[in-house]
Amino acid sequence: MSISDKKKTASFKNKREVWYKLDLSAIVYPTLQRKDFSSVYRLSALMKEEIEPVLLQKALDMTLPRFPTYKVAIRKGLFWRYLEPNNRPGPFVTPDIKNPCMPMPFKANNRYLLRVYYYGRRISLEAHHCLGDGTGGMCVLQTLIAVYLKLQGHSVTPSGFVLDIDEMPDPEELEDAYMRYANARVRPPRPGEKTYRVSGTKEPFYTLNIIDGIMSVKEVMAVARKYDATLTEYINAVLLYALLQKQENDAPYKIRPVKIAMPVNLRRFFPSRTLRNFITMVYPSIDPRLGDYTFEEIVEQVHHYMKYYISEKFLRGDITTNAATQRNPVIRVVPLFIKDFVVRTFYTKVQDKNSSAGLTNMGALKVPEDMKPYIERFDIYMGQPFSSRTNCAIISFEDILTINFASSIVETDVECNFFRKLVQDGIHVKVESNREIRY
Amino acid sequence: MSYCVNCGVELEASLKECPLCNTPVINPKQPYPIAGSGPYPSSKGQVEVVKRKDLGILLSVVLSATSITCFLLNLFVFKNSLWSFLVIGICICLFFFAFPAVIYTKTPVYAALLADGVAVGLYLYLITFLTTTATARWFWQLGLPIVISVTALIELFTLLAHKFPFSVLTGSLYFFIEVPVFCVTLELLIKRFCHVPYRITWSAVVLTVCVIIDITLITIIAKKRLRNEVRRRLHF
Repeated sequence: MSISDKKKTASFKNKREVWYKLDLSAIVYPTLQRKDFSSVYRLSALMKEEIEPVLLQKALDMTLPRFPTYKVAIRKGLFWRYLEPNNRPGPFVTPDIKNPCMPMPFKANNRYLLRVYYYGRRISLEAHHCLGDGTGGMCVLQTLIAVYLKLQGHSVTPSGFVLDIDEMPDPEELEDAYMRYANARVRPPRPGEKTYRVSGTKEPFYTLNIIDGIMSVKEVMAVARKYDATLTEYINAVLLYALLQKQENDAPYKIRPVKIAMPVNLRRFFPSRTLRNFITMVYPSIDPRLGDYTFEEIVEQVHHYMKYYISEKFLRGDITTNAATQRNPVIRVVPLFIKDFVVRTFYTKVQDKNSSAGLTNMGALKVPEDMKPYIERFDIYMGQPFSSRTNCAIISFEDILTINFASSIVETDVECNFFRKLVQDGIHVKVESNREIRY
Repeated sequence: MSYCVNCGVELEASLKECPLCNTPVINPKQPYPIAGSGPYPSSKGQVEVVKRKDLGILLSVVLSATSITCFLLNLFVFKNSLWSFLVIGICICLFFFAFPAVIYTKTPVYAALLADGVAVGLYLYLITFLTTTATARWFWQLGLPIVISVTALIELFTLLAHKFPFSVLTGSLYFFIEVPVFCVTLELLIKRFCHVPYRITWSAVVLTVCVIIDITLITIIAKKRLRNEVRRRLHF
């Protein structure tokens, strides 16, 4: 590191008046915060050797200052919330728990909005969604693992998700990238249609049921190719199929469209190195009121939907619609508590009813070549659903594809239909779970 | 390596039943499941209790400062009456109200409500003590019984809300049962205080209206169809 760089780092560390506006997506998540709900997601890495907690804590202490928008506390202003640097002790690594993604009160945990757990060979990072999306979280996790491996005496070259902890954070990593690209000349309306809602018996507070399906990427790709679809399209179609079956069994007299809320990583379309939220939602759907769909038809519909909507133009329009509310001068001067009430009501009454399940795909994960021998697989959990439904998250590393379901209801019909369809298609699925044994 | 006979998925070695369909794992070669750690820990986490320490300290300091300064002002400047005791009483009442919310959040709700009632009762006695020269009859015959009945009714409402399923409809039912009870008690207490014969008049009107509302609410709660109709039409 050059002398000028050192000076820059020092000046950055000494800068006390730093604070960050919440990005466009992050504004919503703290509003939905309840005593029994926080928008928390989890990223895990299963290593090949047992974790050493002392080294992991040391690695965390060294890593976090590199991510200034993750070493923060959230505060309330008169009109908006904001993030301010948090120099309190912590966060501390702790043994893992059975109920991941538990609520994260803003004033607990020394006001840190992330948690790091270890269990056997697994390192898990949980972060509040107001800090950033899965890509940002993955950068933190992979950099943490790289530092941890370095402390163990291995050599890791920073690249991809692994950042150099001795480098200054690039200002682009801290930006609200939405505002840079919210410049379409029209604001397309938001979809607002009531969809099928998975009904089930609510689990008691502090329970998050997890079912992981582990399979081979090559096998799934081969099956997806058979249907002329990509892996994401195929998995989307299987989830829609599982939800349609569930609806048919539960409420055959009250049929509604089945819709999946799927976040799209906007970095693929709009170049940005931001580690904060930069995603938008698309909603592949099937309307069974139009007739009975075969699985092949579902795949075809999802395929065409994705091709049509996941394009730079449509996504830009979507971002512009979302940004319009934040840019509106009248809305800006409304006090925070009124905004909170309006946003919460809108989310509960409209947005949450707009999809039957959530599905996110982190895609094929790349790690630096010298880190590969130490990692077995990655897991991702979308966290506790806001209402009684199931969230599904996909991630792949080398030839291991992991599909993680997280739900707070007792029934497992959607997961069951989903994995049975994969098995029917000839895919070998291994299942893991944290569910209670009931006998 | 076991497979679920129902779903066809391979099950992780520590699983004793399929997590998808709850079918027990029966492996004749391995009648007892392998003891050892599964992929997830068995201990559950608890959300850290947020201590509103700062707010508690701020509140205690503000209330103590108000009490002390008023007392000193009363002692050295405006000496003609013991008016500062009224301010100190208010501060004590506010402290009691805020105690379970900001200082000790684990206080049982019934104890907290009882403490609030006691605080208000003592404050009324303080007023009586400071203002009434001849008799404290209004306190014993009117003030204290009203405080006791209000406290008892709030405690009852809380008990019902905790013990039975709570919704806007059931909450309204409890409210409209308690309102006439309070009004009748209040009227009888006033009549007793004024030495007028015990006869309910205006509270009978409240009682009638509330009985009608209660019957309507009970009917709505009992009939699922009506309940859904009300929810549909009055949702917000």
